[in-house]
Amino acid sequence: MADHKHHTSHEEHLREQHLMLDPMPRGKMNEMVMESMHTTSWKFWLVFGLLAALVAYALFYKWGVMILEGLGVAGVNRPSYWGIFLVNTVFWIGISHAGTFISAILRVFKAEFRRPFTRAAELMTTFGLIQAGFSIFMHMGRVWLSYWLMPYPNQRQLWPNFHSPLSWDLLAITTYLLSSTMYLFLPLIPDLAMARDRTPDGTWQKVFYRILALGFRGTEGEWTHLRNALNIFAFAIIPVMFSVHTIVSWDFAMATRPGWNSTIFGPYFVVGALHSGMGAVVMVLAVVRGTMKHMKYFIRPEHFEAIGKLMLIISMAWGYFFFNDYIVQWYGGDKWTKELLHWHEAGPMGWMWFGMLICNVAIPWAILWNKKWRSTPWLLFLVGMLINVGMWFERYIIVPISLTINRMPFTWRLYQPGIEVWLGIGTLAFFILLYMAASRLIPLIPVWEVQEGQMAHSLKKYGRETVVAVSDLE
Amino acid sequence: MAEEKSLLAVFSDLDPAADAIEQLRMLGIHDDCMNVISGIPVTEAMLGRPSQWTNVPRLALGGAIAGFLVGAFLSFVTPNMYTIMVGGQPFAPVPPAVIVLFEMTMLGMLLSTFLGVFLDSLFPNYRPMHYVPEISDGKIAILIECPPPDAQKVTEVLKKLGAESVNETEAQHL
Repeated sequence: MADHKHHTSHEEHLREQHLMLDPMPRGKMNEMVMESMHTTSWKFWLVFGLLAALVAYALFYKWGVMILEGLGVAGVNRPSYWGIFLVNTVFWIGISHAGTFISAILRVFKAEFRRPFTRAAELMTTFGLIQAGFSIFMHMGRVWLSYWLMPYPNQRQLWPNFHSPLSWDLLAITTYLLSSTMYLFLPLIPDLAMARDRTPDGTWQKVFYRILALGFRGTEGEWTHLRNALNIFAFAIIPVMFSVHTIVSWDFAMATRPGWNSTIFGPYFVVGALHSGMGAVVMVLAVVRGTMKHMKYFIRPEHFEAIGKLMLIISMAWGYFFFNDYIVQWYGGDKWTKELLHWHEAGPMGWMWFGMLICNVAIPWAILWNKKWRSTPWLLFLVGMLINVGMWFERYIIVPISLTINRMPFTWRLYQPGIEVWLGIGTLAFFILLYMAASRLIPLIPVWEVQEGQMAHSLKKYGRETVVAVSDLE
Repeated sequence: MAEEKSLLAVFSDLDPAADAIEQLRMLGIHDDCMNVISGIPVTEAMLGRPSQWTNVPRLALGGAIAGFLVGAFLSFVTPNMYTIMVGGQPFAPVPPAVIVLFEMTMLGMLLSTFLGVFLDSLFPNYRPMHYVPEISDGKIAILIECPPPDAQKVTEVLKKLGAESVNETEAQHL
């Protein structure tokens, strides 16, 4: 009798813990997701309004000022011609990596915990890349000439130089932006159809969902085409993701500058991107769970626990690559490289160098080893935020700080940012604003994927032990 | 020849839907005259249905080849359109071309995969269609095209097998 009770409570505990073992009727889940989109408090609109005002001022007004006045209002100057604009470009591309990592890599490896939050992560990819694009355009200064980047000939039939890492950047970022947007849209179609079916006629939302759902009904053919396409995307987008940040790293590594000319920059940047991206995903999930109705059902401590483990592994990998890059330059670098390394640690921005190590390594390692701590949403939010601060510091050290020390000591000058601080705040506000708008327009939870996962999961008894069993439905 | 009737049978579960498909086949309704509509991807094997044909992988391959050719054009042909020889540097080097070829191949493949879903599924399609919104709430529907004299018999069999409803449907705007 006591044994039976023990088993029942263990099963209950498993169901409570795992979303996949705690199914609800599909109609109920749809209702919850639609309600979460439509329930907005005055606080939401207050934050939305403040962010909109901040975007209008910090992003568009200040950018307008810079266009009128010229790049002189920014702090970029000899020898640091690359400043916060490029720090933010690298930072936002890094953030965008989490979406693909979670959605594609975890899909390929059939990691079931991914199901409820793939879309939340994919949205970050698209919105992060938009901010990266803005940052590049700001860096150009004369943004109205940005079409010169496009691969087409000028009047003299002279094409862009495709041997330049900057041309590779354009191709890689464009490929990634288009691919990740398509990869966001394809699995969204069935959920848009669900939203269409649940929205009353005669409203603008009905028209919106009807257009975007494209007439999807869920026929066998439609599902087959969609499943095939998602499989191709999941496998193909992974190397694209790796290529993007590797190519971004080559913008630096191809130059024979102290601190930049490193063969390990490619993987070091990719791991760094995953580090900041995962930190951002966990922040978004904690906010979504804490502020949107019914999200506590879909996003549970088990998801934070799983992401926390990934964050710990990625933090270790980042530490490994950082030390690898550091030790080789410290041991065998030329005079100027050694000067630069000393400047990183003991120069006026040394606090940033140590801050980077504390945020990226010390704090994640101190907290994420503990299962209870890494299952606590607010604590993970904090760790994710600090990782992002640390990763922003890392990019700041690599870009303007490293440019300070070169082979011409008479040009050494510490970079002092100007208007770009406002513009950076503007991109952050715009990212959050886009995310808030999306959370009211499209289902953040891929309901059909959650239901599919719940169908595949069951509890099975081995002897006296009840364990979770997963069937491969494909 | 009389026009075929469209019946939409709605089931709450997968098993009775699979049984119904088998029964319909025994009644002489060909697989081509049935279509299963569901809110989650139910595989053909689960329903005992023939495999669905899809052009998506072939289109993806075609897109990859097209993308590769565009990459080759950008890397090896465009430098010849306005020749600038730089001393000590190769004219059209292969290592940088690998990057351009890779990016354009992947872009071609993913774009054509995306467009392949549109082409194969005939998206966007805003014409009237046979559908009930309950499908996105988890129901499984079988759309059957049958000769009018058989409609009554088919309806009775499907109801006996657990169909929640079997209705003659008119195509409507979604």
